[in-house]
Amino acid sequence: MRKPKKSLILIAVLLGILFLIPMVWMVATSFKTDTEALSSMSLFPKHFTFDNYVYTLFGQGLDVPILRWLFNSLFVGIGGSLLVVMIDAMAAYGLARLNVPFKKFLLPMFINTLMIPWVITFIPLYLQFGNMGWLNTYAALIFPYTANAFGVFLLYQFFRGFPKALEEAAVIDGANKWQVFIRIVLPSAKPMLWTLGIFTFMTIYNDFLWPLVSTNSIELRTITTGIAIMQQGSFVSSYGKLMALTTLATLPMLAIFLVGQRQFIKGITQTGIK
Amino acid sequence: MCVLQETKFSKFTSFLFVLPYLVVFVAFLLIPLIFGAYISFHDWDLLSSTHKFVGFGNYAKLFDPSTYFHSVFMNGLWNTIKFVIFSVPILIVGGLLLALLVQHLPDKLKGIFRSIFFISYAISVSVIAVLWLWLLDTNSGLFNHLLAKLGAAPVQWLTSMPYAWISIVAATVWWTVGFNMIIYINALNEVPDELYEAGSVDGATPWQKFWSITLPSIRPVMVFTIVTSTIASFNIYGQPYLMTRGGPGTSTKVLLMEIVDQAFVQRQLGIASAMAIVMAIIMIVISIIQFRLTRNNEGNEA
Repeated sequence: MRKPKKSLILIAVLLGILFLIPMVWMVATSFKTDTEALSSMSLFPKHFTFDNYVYTLFGQGLDVPILRWLFNSLFVGIGGSLLVVMIDAMAAYGLARLNVPFKKFLLPMFINTLMIPWVITFIPLYLQFGNMGWLNTYAALIFPYTANAFGVFLLYQFFRGFPKALEEAAVIDGANKWQVFIRIVLPSAKPMLWTLGIFTFMTIYNDFLWPLVSTNSIELRTITTGIAIMQQGSFVSSYGKLMALTTLATLPMLAIFLVGQRQFIKGITQTGIK
Repeated sequence: MCVLQETKFSKFTSFLFVLPYLVVFVAFLLIPLIFGAYISFHDWDLLSSTHKFVGFGNYAKLFDPSTYFHSVFMNGLWNTIKFVIFSVPILIVGGLLLALLVQHLPDKLKGIFRSIFFISYAISVSVIAVLWLWLLDTNSGLFNHLLAKLGAAPVQWLTSMPYAWISIVAATVWWTVGFNMIIYINALNEVPDELYEAGSVDGATPWQKFWSITLPSIRPVMVFTIVTSTIASFNIYGQPYLMTRGGPGTSTKVLLMEIVDQAFVQRQLGIASAMAIVMAIIMIVISIIQFRLTRNNEGNEA
């Protein structure tokens, strides 16, 4: 049985290299000068330089606020995730445990919308936000993501399976339902809330089409849409700088991914499959 | 024992739990859905303040072969379907093969390789596109340099056919195949060991075990990944928008690109909304067919 294992490891290593090359190449290029990036195929820069990063973040001649874009993405990503986790947890708990009026009508209505492709909503949302004067605001970059029923569905399933005894004990001790929710239910749901938070952050941080459509002020670009501007604009063949920019844009996601991979995988496997 | 009492006030405070979500649900999902349908029944110019009601006129244009909108819509739809057909089988089979590979590695290596194959999923579409543009650059990209070392002529990866599609599919597979792998790894872990032991007792070869034990056990998960991958591929936008600009010509211009063009370049929101709604209906119908087909198979086997 040993021989097949060894050949499997070899296959895995070769495939692994293939999968890692694009990212390694991105990081390697980001430490090269723009001229070296175009001419040299060496993985290791001849003249190792941080200049691309310094220029991208603080460049004097740069006419776009890249640091601001990074801030925007983190701000709407974190703000949006917190908002989603909060309102989805409340709604899911209400529907799973409390005597909410119209529950029999609300729950299927929410869950059925999971089937609806988002492509239908971005044009009317654009007009709605335009009418409210909300285009080119952080609100436009946050609120459309809060309507997704995915989190309500995820947490509803979790709360249904959560043993009632703890809540009942707290009620007997005189706690009202808000106290029960905040002191007993939320702490017990922490892993699930993290899962939903990471999912939502990733969706918002990586989204491309909606931020492209709903903002046109250079100050309000997210880093994901900003990259597209730079690729077509002043970084067009400055691959060193471009790769520094994409590396910077990827760092927050990689950090979250490495720290939260387990939560994330748990979230993927617990949704919709069973 | 019912410790949560049901007074009117209690009902009201319970409703407050659902209220915040209900508000955003109505404002940012329900109203846009209805409003979207309303727009699609009008001749809606983005810059004009009056919008003429045209009934199903916009939809009729999409299906009337003599109109410009028909050719735009059909070109986009056909390119999107091509991408679905090219990408989904690779994402499904590739994801399963990667999962089987990781599954059969020594325990110490499993975690590392799972992360390696999955990590590109964390990257955003614009980074994917810019990175692959750079790798595939005709004059200075890594791929053509490697080809040159092998003595091959440079390939115009993004501006000629069929390479433009190959590039878009390759970038997409590299980006998202790890997601399906993760789902399959989890499904494979849940196949009961007794089934394999029983198979061994019956003298089944590994190949027979795979076909008659593994595949049937993970079928519901396969259906799930086929449906989700198809939907994701249908929504393709960023890769061709950034990598090929829809070219060469309009041969990789997908439906979502056509819709965005109609809405924000031509400013014809009515026709764009009609296109979006037809696209959504096609996606829903395909999902239902995929679920039905697999349910029927299960029925036949029983």
